[in-house]
Amino acid sequence: MRYYILLFAFFTQVSCTPLDPLYHSQSYVFGTLVDISIYGEEESEAQLMSSQITREFQNIHNRLHAWKPSELNGINKTFADNRPKLIEPDIVQIIEDATKLSIQSEGLFNPAIGKLIQAWGFQRDEFTAVLPDQLTLDALLAEQPKMTDIVINGHQIISNNPHVKLDLGGYAKGYALDAGMKILREFQVKHALINIGGNVIALGKHGENPWTIGIQHPRKPDAIATIALESGWAIGTSGDYQRFFIHDGKRYCHIIDPRTGQPAQGTQSVTVLIPPSPNAGVLSDVASKPIFISALDEKAAFAKKMDVSHVLVIQEDGQILATPSMQKRLQWLDQEAKQRVGTLQ
Amino acid sequence: MLARFNNFPKLLKGDWCIVLVSLGLVVVSFLTLWSHQPAATLRVRVGSTVLGEYSLMQTKLLTVSGSAGKATIEIQQGKVRFKHSPCHNQYCVHQGWLTHAHQAAICIPNQISIELMGASPAFDTLNY
Repeated sequence: MRYYILLFAFFTQVSCTPLDPLYHSQSYVFGTLVDISIYGEEESEAQLMSSQITREFQNIHNRLHAWKPSELNGINKTFADNRPKLIEPDIVQIIEDATKLSIQSEGLFNPAIGKLIQAWGFQRDEFTAVLPDQLTLDALLAEQPKMTDIVINGHQIISNNPHVKLDLGGYAKGYALDAGMKILREFQVKHALINIGGNVIALGKHGENPWTIGIQHPRKPDAIATIALESGWAIGTSGDYQRFFIHDGKRYCHIIDPRTGQPAQGTQSVTVLIPPSPNAGVLSDVASKPIFISALDEKAAFAKKMDVSHVLVIQEDGQILATPSMQKRLQWLDQEAKQRVGTLQ
Repeated sequence: MLARFNNFPKLLKGDWCIVLVSLGLVVVSFLTLWSHQPAATLRVRVGSTVLGEYSLMQTKLLTVSGSAGKATIEIQQGKVRFKHSPCHNQYCVHQGWLTHAHQAAICIPNQISIELMGASPAFDTLNY
């Protein structure tokens, strides 16, 4: 009997890994890491699809680049000169959609504040710590650039405010996720996972199980929790730990509060989970921003405004809050965090 | 079949001890090894290509050329880190030592990633 039990004890620790037809590629686009996983396809096919998707990402990146010559920058120049410009239909759609989301967020998601982002030194591949003086910030705030300053008539675009400078840094990666999904579906791929700089969208499953996503701990080198990302769902995080600088002991992150012109303070990360829709990728990128920027007691209201029900918030003071529906989906790896999680509502 | 089991002698106190200790061991090993598997191998990627896989059980300095210049990766008996990097913000260097399976450090400007490999990853990809 004792041998049976010892054998039992031994076998429960051995996990069998079946042959995993998983193709994985890594590349660098949008100034960040792009990971594509394709499950259950021939390696040569998977390689072909993954390079097609990466090419499309590079194309989107080149067209929407905020500080190198691009279609977007061409638009910004004509805005500054108060001239009209003819633009491509897909760019019309992007700007109209970003405007709609900006209104929905009551201006906390505001891609028109390119000049403010530039003033903080974040419009560079390798940004340098810049502390703009208050006079500069006040002047930029007084210009009040808004998405609603933009007027689109057919394919013609013009801005009523010459200070609108578009920076789609909080939109483009999400838009690319949706574009990637479209390509995968055209190729009739059943199972894939795309990760652009931490924003992830899932298609199908990884074998028998849903794709599993680790959520980065904002202050530790490990994942804080995992989540099963079912087909069509997307997940996005806004954090203060990827692009930031520390000056005199204070952390300045790349997410600027359009109301104050200052980098948002008080929050380490906001993670949102978005159900399947043709723009799930865009929402996973955009919806976390207003929740990140707003004060703690406004966060639940901004989640509602953005139509997001799955939200995880980690505050600078260590508070961890999740909406009830998010709590049901999270599998905590960090046991200490699990003990402390409160309800965001 | 059941008759065979009935022929087993009745479990004594010592047998129950073994049962409990074995189960305890399973739980303890699961909690310690599963969530923090010690890593054995390091994978280094430059851009989209895997440069190589290296044992962690050695002391070695690797010089790797990325898109921004040469970086030094230090392996020291079970752990690895970016020791030097030509990048401006030095996030990769500040990340420090990686010790557990599936930890990774990525230098985006230089397009170099180091990742500790292990048996079964806890997740397919990381949201950050």
